[in-house]
Amino acid sequence: MHPELQQSPRNILVFEKSNFMNEKSRHDLHVLKHYFNYKVSVFIPECGILPSELNDAISRFTKYYLVKDLPVHELLEEECLEKTVKKGRFYALSYNRRIDQDDVVAILPTGQMILSVNKDTYEQLGLEGKESQYTHKQPMRYVVTVDLTDKSMLPGSKRYNRVLWALKEKVPVKMDFLLARHSTEANEGGMLPSCLSQYHCRELQASISTQKLSSLPYPVLCSCDIRGEGYCEPHQFLEWLGAVTMEIDCNNDATSFMSTYSCPEQHNTLSQALLCSITGLLLPEDIQSLLEKLRSYFEQPKLTSWLSLVVHGFADSPVSWGMEEHGFHKGGENFYGFVVFGNQDYWLHMGTGANDGCPP
Amino acid sequence: MSVLLTDSVLKAGKICLLVMPLKLTKSQDERNAEAFTSTFLKKSLPSMGPEAIQQALLHKAVVLEYQHKRTGTGTRKRARARGLAARQRRELSLFQLKPEHQKYELFVPLHELWKQYIRDLCNGLKPESNPQMIQTKLLKADFHGAIISVVRSKCPSYVGATGILVQELKHVFKIITKEDKLKVIPKRNSVFSVEVDGFVSHIYGTKFQLRSSERSAKKFKAKGTIDL
Repeated sequence: MHPELQQSPRNILVFEKSNFMNEKSRHDLHVLKHYFNYKVSVFIPECGILPSELNDAISRFTKYYLVKDLPVHELLEEECLEKTVKKGRFYALSYNRRIDQDDVVAILPTGQMILSVNKDTYEQLGLEGKESQYTHKQPMRYVVTVDLTDKSMLPGSKRYNRVLWALKEKVPVKMDFLLARHSTEANEGGMLPSCLSQYHCRELQASISTQKLSSLPYPVLCSCDIRGEGYCEPHQFLEWLGAVTMEIDCNNDATSFMSTYSCPEQHNTLSQALLCSITGLLLPEDIQSLLEKLRSYFEQPKLTSWLSLVVHGFADSPVSWGMEEHGFHKGGENFYGFVVFGNQDYWLHMGTGANDGCPP
Repeated sequence: MSVLLTDSVLKAGKICLLVMPLKLTKSQDERNAEAFTSTFLKKSLPSMGPEAIQQALLHKAVVLEYQHKRTGTGTRKRARARGLAARQRRELSLFQLKPEHQKYELFVPLHELWKQYIRDLCNGLKPESNPQMIQTKLLKADFHGAIISVVRSKCPSYVGATGILVQELKHVFKIITKEDKLKVIPKRNSVFSVEVDGFVSHIYGTKFQLRSSERSAKKFKAKGTIDL
């Protein structure tokens, strides 16, 4: 076998088991801290159509904007800052930029702007930053963090002027951006400030696709004992779930040599199952409300005992959870998945790739 | 046969060669020859006492040069000619600008002078002049009075520093900014830009670490990398 295929890059998987009703449960934190989410896929066994309340929740997801060729200093102008960052829960991520090759800019809802830049850009920009954690002998990547809510960044101060000068005159950085703002008021949510309207903007809604699967072997999961009979090894379970999402046959036929994926032990056959995928710039608050709705799915008696929700993060985002630096080694995966049981127990898998810190 | 040579006789300039016949029988001839030899030698010897002759026969070596005391006097003379030592120069602080002299307006005329000097050096600086030629001339030029700004640097806080060059030392540039601040910027790991009449040149500081006086004689080679 080819030596490169034999050795796969390292990855980290954290597996947690708890109950939603438990006070010490940190499921909220995990969801809210994973800022930039790209895809959510929901798998509900023994279900034919998407329940109406789930449909409502998904349609109420916040709209996001794609702005082309936006110079970064525009986001730092006074009035823009007032309307976006200072009001809170503002997300911005550069679009179509690779984290390991180009410059990537992101604004976190905590009010911090993160610039992950190349060596050349860093030397010309003139803003202090730290070397990236995932570099070789000579640092090729630098991370500059600017706290926009700090009092040293008030418009008119020396630091603010320096940052503005660096991004406006020294190295004018221009890129496409995905912007979104979560707000609880009815009309306010997602309104772009007028200062950005002169650039080419497009309002987008998260795109949904549903699929019905039938006669599928699926593992029997029991939440009670983590090492007893109902225990299904996390890696195997995730492999099977991924295969189902990608529509790979898990029959392990003798005739087909394409895949050797198989369903974990102790499986039944499904009559039908629902797979729903939502893609776009999805905000953690929306995912949190979706999770609440999924928990309430079991309020009425259902044929299945479990369902799963998997959230994938952007491969090119500069952070994974909180302020942890994220890199793209051979696949920039950073995802988490909930398996929700009828008795409000849950299993949580959090996985990252090679150039990542350990998930919380 | 035997050849007889004496040192003292050689010095006198006379070479005496005595050849004795092989067949020797202690006869009358032999005794005669011996007597003749001794009287002849006594006649030809210079009139010196026996001690004097002995001394002349000895080998004597004469020392032609005498190294010892000469070195002391030689270095003292050279030190005086060199001028003040570095420590004394620093104490005198000849090259330090006093605070009342640190004003940007005072150096603007110097900048005008420098611009004129560069224009003369490059014969006009017209738009169609060859950049290569100007480059070679600039390499040997003096930059005191130029407006220099840092374009790239390994340390980001130096980037953007602009001002008139007041002093160029071996490893640093001393510039005075518009806010009347004297900044010391190391040449290493930085790229500077100099502008004259629309011609912008970038100077890679790492390759430029020479005193301005020595730079005029140095040949620059394209060695190594220009990456910071």
